Amino acid sequence: MSRTARREFLRDLGLSAAALPFVLNLPSLGFANQQARKQRLVVMFSPNGVVPKTFWPDEEGSEFKLKESLSPLEPFKDRLLTLHGVCDKVRGDGDNHMRGIGCLLTGVELFPGNIQGGSHTPAGWASGLSIDQEIKNFLQAKEETRTRFGSLEFGVMVPERADTWTRMSYSGPNKPITPIDDPYQMFSKLYGKLNDRESLKSILDDLQADLKKLASSVSAEDRQLLEEQTTFVRELEQELKADATQAVGHAVPELEPGIKEDNDNMPKLCKLQIDLMVNSFASDFARVATLQITNSVGQAKMRWLDINEGHHEISHSPDSDEKAQEKLTRINKWYAEQLAYLAKRLAETPEPGGPGSLLDNTTIVWTNELGKGNSHTLDNIPWVLLGNGLDFKMGRALNYDKIPPSRVLNAIDQAADFIAGKSIKPGKVAHNRLLLSLAHGFGHHLTKFGNPDFCGDGPLSNLV
Amino acid sequence: MISAVTVASRPEILASQMLTLQPRLKVSLAGWMLLFGTSALFGADRTGEQIYQQVCASCHGAKGEGTTESYPHPLVGERSVGELTEYISKSMPEDKPGTCVGEDARKVSQFIHDTFYSPTAQARNKPVRVELSRLTVRQYRNAIADLIGSFRGAGKLEGQEGLRGEYFKARGFRANARAFERVDPVVAFDFKDKSPDDEKMEPHEFSIRWEGAVTAPDTGEYEFIVRTDQAARLWINDLKQPLVDNWVQSGKDTEHRESIFLLAGRTYSLRLEFSKAKQGVDDKKAKEKPPAPASISLEWQRPHRVAEVIPARCLSTSRPSEAFVVTTRFPPDDRSVGWEKATSISKEWDQATTDAAIDVATFVATHFEEFAGTKRDAADRDEKLKSFCHRFAERAFRRPLDDEQRKTFVDRYFVEGVEPETSVKRVVLLTLKSPRFLYRELGSQQHDAPVSGQATGDSDHSLARRAGFDPFDVASRISFAMYDSLPDQALLDAAAKGELKTREQVAQHAQRLLADPRARSKLREFLLTWLKVEHVPDVSKDSERFPEFNAVLANDLRTSLELFLDEIIRSDEADFRQLLLADSVYFNGRLAKFYGAKMGESEPADDAPFQKIELEPEQRAGVLSHPYLMAGFAYTGSSSPIHRGIFIARSVLGRSLRPPPEAVAPLAPHLRPDLTTRERVALQTKPESCQSCHAMINPLGFTLEHFDAVGRFRKEENGKLVNATGAYRTRNGELLNFTGVNDLAKFLADSPETHSAFVEQLFHFLVKQPIRAFGSNTRETLRASFVKDNFNIHRLMVEIIATAALTTSESKPQTPISSP
Repeated sequence: MSRTARREFLRDLGLSAAALPFVLNLPSLGFANQQARKQRLVVMFSPNGVVPKTFWPDEEGSEFKLKESLSPLEPFKDRLLTLHGVCDKVRGDGDNHMRGIGCLLTGVELFPGNIQGGSHTPAGWASGLSIDQEIKNFLQAKEETRTRFGSLEFGVMVPERADTWTRMSYSGPNKPITPIDDPYQMFSKLYGKLNDRESLKSILDDLQADLKKLASSVSAEDRQLLEEQTTFVRELEQELKADATQAVGHAVPELEPGIKEDNDNMPKLCKLQIDLMVNSFASDFARVATLQITNSVGQAKMRWLDINEGHHEISHSPDSDEKAQEKLTRINKWYAEQLAYLAKRLAETPEPGGPGSLLDNTTIVWTNELGKGNSHTLDNIPWVLLGNGLDFKMGRALNYDKIPPSRVLNAIDQAADFIAGKSIKPGKVAHNRLLLSLAHGFGHHLTKFGNPDFCGDGPLSNLV
Repeated sequence: MISAVTVASRPEILASQMLTLQPRLKVSLAGWMLLFGTSALFGADRTGEQIYQQVCASCHGAKGEGTTESYPHPLVGERSVGELTEYISKSMPEDKPGTCVGEDARKVSQFIHDTFYSPTAQARNKPVRVELSRLTVRQYRNAIADLIGSFRGAGKLEGQEGLRGEYFKARGFRANARAFERVDPVVAFDFKDKSPDDEKMEPHEFSIRWEGAVTAPDTGEYEFIVRTDQAARLWINDLKQPLVDNWVQSGKDTEHRESIFLLAGRTYSLRLEFSKAKQGVDDKKAKEKPPAPASISLEWQRPHRVAEVIPARCLSTSRPSEAFVVTTRFPPDDRSVGWEKATSISKEWDQATTDAAIDVATFVATHFEEFAGTKRDAADRDEKLKSFCHRFAERAFRRPLDDEQRKTFVDRYFVEGVEPETSVKRVVLLTLKSPRFLYRELGSQQHDAPVSGQATGDSDHSLARRAGFDPFDVASRISFAMYDSLPDQALLDAAAKGELKTREQVAQHAQRLLADPRARSKLREFLLTWLKVEHVPDVSKDSERFPEFNAVLANDLRTSLELFLDEIIRSDEADFRQLLLADSVYFNGRLAKFYGAKMGESEPADDAPFQKIELEPEQRAGVLSHPYLMAGFAYTGSSSPIHRGIFIARSVLGRSLRPPPEAVAPLAPHLRPDLTTRERVALQTKPESCQSCHAMINPLGFTLEHFDAVGRFRKEENGKLVNATGAYRTRNGELLNFTGVNDLAKFLADSPETHSAFVEQLFHFLVKQPIRAFGSNTRETLRASFVKDNFNIHRLMVEIIATAALTTSESKPQTPISSP
C-alpha cells in the first residue's frame, strides 16, 4: 500500500523538478497560481455513527441550538451547516461498515471480493474513485489551481492493515489510497527536501576544502577531474542560495519529537496532523485534504476521557443503555473538538496573498460511515460542514426529512417504495447528491458521480 | 602506410564505432562494403613520411618534437591538412620555400597532421597511464549496498534451491494450525477445488507461507507478478513492507504486479503469503462450503525479458539480510572503449551523487541506532553514534581515518544544539560527496596527515608507500577488479597488517574472492559483453517464415545461453576453450521441439525443464553454434554472414576493423531470389573497395552459413546446398581454410590471437584501465600464463588482479613521504 504513496511522492517530486530548475528546491509551483481565490476542501472522518438525540439540532434553519455532541463548535456556529436526512444508499456486497466507509466518498458499489464482514456478502475495494480525488484531479488539471501535491491524505491511528474498513479515499476502481497516519512521515513528505537542503548547505564548505586539499596532491592531468567537481559544488552552492530566497514563506513547523503511534497519544497525534495540514495549506501544497481518524469499526480507547472500552464495542450498546450513550456522546464531542481545533487554526491563519483567513476559503466536511452505531444504519449519515470555501449558505441546520418528497426523492426510490407498497416517506436524499454539490462548489459541474441512479436531480437543493 | 598506423593505434575510436552498432539487428551494416578513402593508394613517389624525414626532420625532429638548435617547439596545432598544405607550399622549408609543393606538400601535411600535429594525434601519442577514475555506476551502487550491509549481519546465506513452504489448515498462520512443511522448487500451483494434501488439510480453507530468497541475475527494474484468485502478499528484500499486497481480492483482478530495482548477483529476502479463505470477519460457522477453485503462481519479468515463473535456480531457502539499493538514476558510463571508462564527470553525474547521498543519508538517519548499536535514551548514545560515523567514513574511504580526518569528517558535526540525527545525516552526506569515496586511485595522497593511534604499524604503511603501493589502495584494486565494490574486512585487515605486498598475498585474496557471488556475477556480465549480448538484443523474427519463433521462445534461448555460461563459470576448470567447443546445449521442451532435438520423451511438453542435450557432431561449437547468437547475428528473415564475421573478427580474434564510411542497405533477398545468402553477400561486397575489410569478414561469417535466421541447422538454402567453407589470414600472414563451424571453432579455441583478445578484454572489464598502462608486456605475460593454466578463466582473473594490483603507473607522481 505504501508503495503507492512512495511512488506518488516520487511523482510529485518529479513534477516539481520539471517546474523548477533545481531538483532540491522545495517544490511549490513557484506560486504562479496565487492570483485567484484558493478554494479548499477537507473531509474529516470519525467512525461508528453518532447518538442522534445528542447530535442533531432540534431546530431547522438559522435559529438552532447545538447539542452536547456538537457543543465545541459553538464559536463557529455561524459558519456551520448540519445536514440531516442525507443517506448512503449504495447497496451490494459488503457489510454496512464496509460500504459505510468504502462508498462514503465514492458513492458507488464495492467489488465482490474475499473480505467478509459481520454480515452480508464478502466484498473487495470500491469500484470507483472518491470525490476528494475527483476534485483533486479537477484542480490539478488546470495551471491556475495546480499545487505540489494536489491532495494530502492524513490519518490518525489507522491500523496497519489494508482492507475495506481502513480505506476511504480511492484514486480509481480498486485503487485505495493509504492515509499517512505518522506525522513524522507526513512531515518528511512535506518538508524532507527542505531539511536535506539545509544539511547539504552545511557540508559544502568542508567538501570544498577537501577537494582543494586532494587536488593539490594529484597529478596535473588528474587534477582536472577534481577541479571540475569543485565547479559543480560551487554551482550547487549558488543554486541552494538562489533557492533559499524563493522559499521565503515556507515556514517549516516545529514538530514535538518522538510521539509514538499509540492509542493514548491519539490527541497529540491528531493535533500534530492538523497543524501539518494547516501549514501545508498556508504553503499551498494542496487544496484538498482528508483526515481519517481511526477507521470504520475504529476501536479507539479514549482513556483520556475516562472511557476504557473500545469505541466500536460501546457503539453496539442499545439506546436504553444510558451510560453507553453518554460515553458515545462524549466520544463524538471529542471528535467535534478536533474539528473545532482545525477550524480555529484555519480561522486564525491569514490567507497568504489574499484577504481573510484560510477558513474563509476552506470547507470542512465532517462525516462518518454510519448514521447510528447500534442499528448500523446508513441513513442520516452525520454530515457537518464548516467554513466558507464552497460558498454554501452557512449558519443553518438543514433537515432533508422535512423537505417535501417530490423534491428529494429520485425516481428509482419512489418506484421501489411504491412497488413495495410503502407509503412514501421523506428523508431519503442520496448522499451522491451531496458529493455532486461539493464538486459544483469548485465549479466542477458533474452531473453524475458514483452510481448514476443516486444522482437524480443533481446537487442538493437548498445549500447555496 | 598512414592508414595502417591509424588503424593500429586507434582501437578506442574503432571500438566506439562498433558499439554504436549495438542495435545491430536493425542497423544495416552494408556500409562496410564501401571503400573508406584513397589513402591506401600509393604512387611510385615518396610517401609523406619519407618527405618529412628527408626535408623537415633535421629542424623539427624525427617525431615533430623540435630540435634545440633550429626549432625548439613541438609541431602541434589545430590547422587542417589543407591549411597546412597551403602553409608548407608557401613557407617551407624555411631555407628553400617553394620546393615542397603540390602533391608532395599535401602528402607531408597529411603525415604531419595525422602522426603528431592534430589534437587527436596528440591524444593518441600521450603515454597511456592509470588515470584517476570515479566509481562507475555499478561500482557506486555496489559500494553503497556493501557499505550499508557492513553494518548488518549477512543473514543466513546457505540454503537449497526453491522456497520453504509452510502449509496451514486455517486461513491465518497460527502455529497450532501448521499442517506440514516442504521445499517447493517453484510457486506455480493450481489447486483447483482440492486440498494441497488431502490427508493433512481440508480443501475449503488453508493458507501457505513461502519463505526464502531470490537472486537477481542482472541489474535493473524487476516486475514481480503474483497471479492468484485468493488473498496473497509478497515481500521482496524489505520484509516489513509488502511489495505486492493483495490481501483484499477485489473484483476480477487476478494479476498483481509491482516493480523493484535490484542489483545483479545479490540475493534478496522473499516471503509470499497465500490464503484460501474469506478474510475479515471469520465465517467458520458458515453452513455451506461450496467447492471453490484456488491457484497461485509467483512470476517475474526480468529487465528486458518476458514474464515467467521464477525458476528454482533463482530461488533459495536462505535468509539474507535486507539490502539497501540505490535507485537514483545515474547517467550511464562511457562504454565507447569497450569497458566502463569512468575518467570524466558531468553535472548530471554530480547531481546524481547528491541525490543518492541524500537517499542514503535519509536511510541511515532512520536506522542509525540499529547500526550504531544504541538506543534513544542510552547514556553513551552520542559516543556510539560518533564511533559509528567514524566507521562509516572509514569503510566508505576504504582506509583508516587519521585524527585530523576524524575531526574534519565526523567530530565537528556533533555539536551542542544539533540533533544527533542531523549530525549523522551530515556526516553521511559529506562522506558520500567526498572524492575519497567517489574516486579510485587517489592513492596514498589521501594520507595528508600522519596516521596515529592505529595498532597496525605505521612503518608498514610508509614502507609500502615508498615502494609505490599503498596497501589500502591494493586492497581496493583487488576488490573493485574482482567484484566492483568495497574491500571486505579480510582485505582491510590484510592491508592494515601489511600483508598485501607480494604477488602471492594478492593472488591468495583474489583466489578466495572468486567464490563470491558478486565476482561470479561480474564474470558472467563480462562473458555476455564478450559475446556482445550484454544488452538483451531484440531477436524477433519474421513471423510468417518463423511463426513459432515468438518472444517466449527468444526468452528461452537467452536463458539457454545463460545456463551454459553459468555452468562454465561454476565449474572448477572454467575452461575458456569450452566456450567455443562445447558439444551440448541447454534446451527446455519448447526449444527442443523448435530445434528438432530429442529430449528423451518423444514429444516433450513446452515447459519441460531445461536439460543438457548433446548436439549433432557438425554443430558442436559452444557459443559459436548457439542458436541465440546465431539468431542474434542475423536479420529477421535471413542469416547475416557479415554480422557473424564481424563478431568473430572483433570480439573473438580482437581485430580492428574500420567503420564503414556510410550505411548502405543490404541487397534484399527478394530482389535476387536466385541467390543464396552467401552469393548475395559476395556479390554486394565484390568491389575491390569493400574487400579491404570484407576479405576478412565474409570468409569468417560464411563458415556459419549452416545456421539460418533463427539459428536452426540447415543443409540447404533455396534448394541449393549450403556452402560453409571459409578462411582466415592470421596476423602472421598464414592463410587457413575452414569448412563449417567445427573447423572454425577448433582453430579459434587454439589460436593465440583469440587468447590475447580474451585476455585483453577481460583485463579491461575487470580493471577498467588500459592494459598498456601496466607495461607493454603485460598482455603477453598474461596470455602465457592463461595457456599454462589450461585456459582457466578463474586463474586468469587471479593473474590479472595480481598484476594490476601491484603495478603503479610510472607517470603517476610519487608523493614525498613527509612523516613516518
